[in-house]
Amino acid sequence: MSSETNKILTTDGIPLEVSLKRSERKNKIKAFLLVAPLLLFLIITYIFPIGSMLTRSIDDKMVTEMLPKTYKAMETWDGKELPSEEVFEAFYFDFQNLVEEKREGKLSTQLNYTKNGFKSIIKKLRRKSKSFEEGNYKEQIMAVHKRWANVEYWQAIQRRAPAYTAQKYLKGMDMYKNESGEIVSVSEDRRIHRVLWLRTLEIAFFVTLFCFLMAYPIAHLLATLPMKYSNLLMICVLLPFWTSLLVRTASWMILLQQQGMVNDFFVWIGLVGDDSRPEMMFNKTGSYVAMTQILLPFMVLPLYSVMKTISPSLMRAGKSLGGTPLVAFWKVYFPLTIPGIGAGCLLVFILAIGYYITPALVGGASGTLISNQIAFHMKSTLDWSFASAMGLMLLTGVLAIYWVYNKIVGVDNIKLG
Amino acid sequence: MKTISKLLLAISFAISVTTSAFAVTAVSWGGAYTESQKLGYGDPTAKALGIEINWVDYSGGLSEIKAQKEAGAITWDIIDVFAMDTINGCDEGLFVEFDFDKDFPPAPDGTPASKDFFTAMPSKCAVGNILYSWNYAYNTNNVKGTPKTIKDFFNTEKFPGKRAIYKGALTNLEIALAADGIKPGKGGAKIYKALNTEKGVNRAMDKIKALCTDPNGGCVFWSAGAQPPELLVSGEVVMATGWNGRFFGAEVGEGAPIKQVWDGQGLDYEYFVQVKGGPNDANGKAKKALAMMTSTEMLAGSAKYIAYAPWRKSSIAIMEAGEPWYKDGKTNMVPQMPTAPQNTKNYFLVDPVFWADNGTELGEKWEAMKAGL
Repeated sequence: MSSETNKILTTDGIPLEVSLKRSERKNKIKAFLLVAPLLLFLIITYIFPIGSMLTRSIDDKMVTEMLPKTYKAMETWDGKELPSEEVFEAFYFDFQNLVEEKREGKLSTQLNYTKNGFKSIIKKLRRKSKSFEEGNYKEQIMAVHKRWANVEYWQAIQRRAPAYTAQKYLKGMDMYKNESGEIVSVSEDRRIHRVLWLRTLEIAFFVTLFCFLMAYPIAHLLATLPMKYSNLLMICVLLPFWTSLLVRTASWMILLQQQGMVNDFFVWIGLVGDDSRPEMMFNKTGSYVAMTQILLPFMVLPLYSVMKTISPSLMRAGKSLGGTPLVAFWKVYFPLTIPGIGAGCLLVFILAIGYYITPALVGGASGTLISNQIAFHMKSTLDWSFASAMGLMLLTGVLAIYWVYNKIVGVDNIKLG
Repeated sequence: MKTISKLLLAISFAISVTTSAFAVTAVSWGGAYTESQKLGYGDPTAKALGIEINWVDYSGGLSEIKAQKEAGAITWDIIDVFAMDTINGCDEGLFVEFDFDKDFPPAPDGTPASKDFFTAMPSKCAVGNILYSWNYAYNTNNVKGTPKTIKDFFNTEKFPGKRAIYKGALTNLEIALAADGIKPGKGGAKIYKALNTEKGVNRAMDKIKALCTDPNGGCVFWSAGAQPPELLVSGEVVMATGWNGRFFGAEVGEGAPIKQVWDGQGLDYEYFVQVKGGPNDANGKAKKALAMMTSTEMLAGSAKYIAYAPWRKSSIAIMEAGEPWYKDGKTNMVPQMPTAPQNTKNYFLVDPVFWADNGTELGEKWEAMKAGL
């Protein structure tokens, strides 16, 4: 028991260890209280919306609760032929309840997401069902509209049975679960999302590459020029940054369209004929050019801040040790700028992958991205759960890229300044 | 989780609520259009009823009002929406259902409101406001000859050059079929009958695809209403589909060298809806303002400022009596109306029920087609 007897006590008789812990705890609480507002802010504006997005994208309780009897009756249905009278009857009673609560409109919206064509037949059913006679509901419902006699519509209703579902995620990959539970692709003329995902990645990748190729020399110049010139150059880099995004996008349209200034100039110097003006706007090229210019400062600034800290004597040392300028650059200077490159590339890539307004305006048919599709479902179809699912897929993609980056380069190597 | 989310959204909306808590908030698309509404019937109504009407801009869609409702902090009273949105919003329970003839005043000659409007409303929540046209126009300097029909829009041999069309499937499929030889029939019924089949949809898509991949043709897709006249004037395209009010603004307002073609036009509607549970719903101010704004005289007022047709037949008579009706004091407005007899020789009515049913699926097919161009 030597440790107990040897315990050092403070003047008021409390063991030093306890006293120290106590004061440390006080400090910890103080520190926590200091960051608490920020933490709260992050939870409210970041963690919380993402959480609610996640639940929204898989929660499908609404339809399940709207049609309880139908789903009970459907349990024994094999899902191949038209369901039996029982199912029709159950559906009729569920539907009458919904009409009383004025909720049949919501049902029609939800079912229309799963299969197009439900909106009008549910409206028609509401009108006709008022004069339904008792019994033989199958005949009566099928007589309302020929789609009610089409098994595909009943299969669509059955597909909405589970309270939680991954259907929206499958839809985001142009797939769905068919009647026998296999996951298959949708018909070829409706596959749009896969194309858009690939295109989004492609455009984000090339925009990052172009930004890097252009920003590296600029940042180098900025970091090495004397102060009075570099300040001016810095303003040139930042000026577009302070101009409205829409103004810059519109200016590119004016410059690059077929009858635009750049093409006029090409024709004037005789580079191209008047009737063979190249198309540089409303296609992928338009997206590349406008996005690269808009995102350029996000690459220049981290590169600049890293290059600024590299002492010029290092290059001199490299050269005096016998390296050619190129070798000195490649062996000494370039490795030192990698943290800036990492930061810049990640920033630009992540911004580009979620880009929205610019591709919508200048991208034309071949230059629009997945974010435009997300916006379409947010604003037009009101299918927020699908939009959430695609938003989360995008987020997961970004996180995956971040993870890969961390494995290859290491996040500790990022430096913003 | 849900209650917290509501609370948070409510706080954020409470902060964004405008200072005039008692004014009726009317929400519309902005620009020259909102201007025409404000000057044409907004201000006169506000003056007559002694209430303030606040005009707020939005970019369409129901996402904002849905978010307001979910947060339980509704700040909008009246919204100017597309036909499809009145159906979807009515289904979602966002809007007030009207008792049409009771809520809206009859025409001056006593015709009940439901008979005075051009067609029946697409949902119980809608009251018509203007009719506009998806027609096309061409640049008179860049086109040799005079395009007259919707077939000419697709005729790249006779009229070579790029075309601008709307970025979505809406109305493009219809005009493609009209140009491919389908007579629209009464209100376009035959076109929609064809579009209800897979064959008809493919036929329309192929027609558009042929135009866009034609070396003599080619397509530019526009997304904002201001783009078509701009693309025409800059010479980027030789013909463009668009909204007739925008073409009129460029042609008459700014004297641009463009000319409209009405053959095969799609007549589309704009509606007002009243938000259920809006700040002036319970006190009845919103409904009162809405009823007055959509009365015969008031609706005619907006046509003074923009070439969109008032929904009420009785409004046209007021315009005819007051010609030249346009604000410049020398342009006759009745012939510029999409509903004028010489403009509706060959037209279709854009069918909101069809698009509410099939919008998503056709949208996907359309995008897939575009991606393959």
